[in-house]
Amino acid sequence: MAENYEKAIKTKYIGKPLTLHDEKPAWVVDSPRAMSHIHTYGLLTPFFQGLTQGKLMATKCTNPKCPHPSVWLPPRADCPDCYERMKWVKVPSQGTIYTFTLVDYAGIGVEMKTPYWQIDVAIKGVDTIFKGYLESGKPEIGMKVKAKFRTENPTHTILDVCWVPA
Amino acid sequence: MITFGKGNLRIPKWSKRVFMVAGGCTPFRKYYPEYKLEELVMMAYKMMLEENNLKLSPLEIKDSINFAVYGEFADHFQDQLLCEAKIHDYLGLDPLYNVGIKTGGATGGASVLMGAQAIASGYANCCLVAGWERMDEVDTRTGNFYISTAACKDFETRMGRIYSSYYAPMANRFAWAYDLNDSVRAKIAIKNRHYATMNPNAQQPGDHTEEEVLKSRMSAYPLRFLECCAMTAGAASVLLCDEEMAYKLSDHPVEVFIAGGTHTLRVADRRPMDIPLLPNEKPGMYKEFLAKNPRWPGFESFLAARFAAYLTYRMAGIQEPIEELDLVELHDAFTISDVQTYGDIGLRPYGQEVDYVTSGDAYFGGKCPSNLSGGLLGTMHAVGATGIWQSAECLWQVQNKYDQFHGDAKWWKRAGKKKPKNWTSLQVKDAKQALWVSHAGVGSHVTVGILRKAW
Ligand SMILES: [Zn+2]
Repeated sequence: MAENYEKAIKTKYIGKPLTLHDEKPAWVVDSPRAMSHIHTYGLLTPFFQGLTQGKLMATKCTNPKCPHPSVWLPPRADCPDCYERMKWVKVPSQGTIYTFTLVDYAGIGVEMKTPYWQIDVAIKGVDTIFKGYLESGKPEIGMKVKAKFRTENPTHTILDVCWVPA
Repeated sequence: MITFGKGNLRIPKWSKRVFMVAGGCTPFRKYYPEYKLEELVMMAYKMMLEENNLKLSPLEIKDSINFAVYGEFADHFQDQLLCEAKIHDYLGLDPLYNVGIKTGGATGGASVLMGAQAIASGYANCCLVAGWERMDEVDTRTGNFYISTAACKDFETRMGRIYSSYYAPMANRFAWAYDLNDSVRAKIAIKNRHYATMNPNAQQPGDHTEEEVLKSRMSAYPLRFLECCAMTAGAASVLLCDEEMAYKLSDHPVEVFIAGGTHTLRVADRRPMDIPLLPNEKPGMYKEFLAKNPRWPGFESFLAARFAAYLTYRMAGIQEPIEELDLVELHDAFTISDVQTYGDIGLRPYGQEVDYVTSGDAYFGGKCPSNLSGGLLGTMHAVGATGIWQSAECLWQVQNKYDQFHGDAKWWKRAGKKKPKNWTSLQVKDAKQALWVSHAGVGSHVTVGILRKAW
């Protein structure tokens, strides 16, 4: 290494030339990208593990002094109202459709074949609403649905749970 | 939080009054191969310096600037970190300090807010606020995905990878709760796209029929393509000053009031709470409404917008918004986000939003017209520039300069277009006060700003 600092060196181009995407009215070059990130689920790991075991795990604030003790799904580790660490609780795998949409034109990389029904589910005892997709059927507001878990070949994502009519 | 401490509700108070004197923008386009990003920002900046009847020369104003705020939504799109440094250097403004602001779709509004704070605090007496976005370096579906990473990547992004799919559930819930039909949403798209036909800088102007809107391609049910805003390349800028500098530069300065509010990134996390009341609302007036829809703000309304309006109206002393505001520029990224906001900012009480459109109040000639600029649906959504450009459009209305900036043939020529034969002025007569809403995510960040005639 030290040697290189002292010697004259010849530098070689080892990149991949860009192609011209457009020549007029100005040069526009193609600039391809391929990269991978890693991402931690951190303290929410039990939630994602839970999906692969067929259960919906939420977090609950059990601090008796909390001004608004709530049950959170999607879960969060720390209570935003009292800042105490929350407890994991299993919540029912049934709910009712709060609202919905049909996703017809989706962005690149979409993992469900379009069109599909995206639904937001209200679950008894949970203070938030939970977004997912309806695997079969046609949604309407107030319709009862039950969770279906991808316990085999999990995706390790939120797509390990979806919903079907109850 | 779903209940507030006293300090949480403190009304912002500038230490010094804040004024806006000039605005500029580029023509807005889907694809802009002619210019690099910094060249586009220069175009908007020079228009601001040269075309606003300022009493000092452009270079004298350059000599007066002492702070800059820059808005950019996503590094993904620019593919360049520290764009602010490149732009600032390109505008020849080193070593004056600058900051980059990034609050999603509300970036422009937040940039004006930060610039106003610099003036109000005395840090600066002449502050450039500029913003940009170039969404044309990736194909549309990649762009859709990038924008969808402004939904929660763990729990939402995978559910659609397109932002319309996060607004559409709100549209369906709103329709169910408040009796909103497709026709009203279509009317908003038709109105704003029509107003865009009078704007030389508009990206997607057009005169559409209701049938065309409702038969245009579905993005996410019930939102059709013609109900969704554009992906845009372009830039905008405004100049903020303290009182002394404002009158030195302009005979027609406007006073600025602006504040913001926020709410959860995921709509679904919004726990029900009491409605913070605007100055024109009476305690108890929502009793019946809440009995029917107990989950306010739910999927129907935006606490962030309500909270921003709560603060700004009190800052500016507004008592009755629909009576006192001469026009508004709203964040019509989707027809539904436009409708939802009417209640949040008190153009109508909650539950009666639809009436703002069907009554005619929202139209040119109506009580308080909205989006005469063409809005995001018709004119542009170069995200980091949007809230800045909206404020410039409001400025020009209050300065009685709509025609100067929309009717002069030179702007049509600059945009490479011919001024339409049926061009008509959308100048609101005797406009004294305008409001603009800059809005991010599904209501994660919202600023509400008011510009008031000050001469
Ligand atoms: Zn708590």
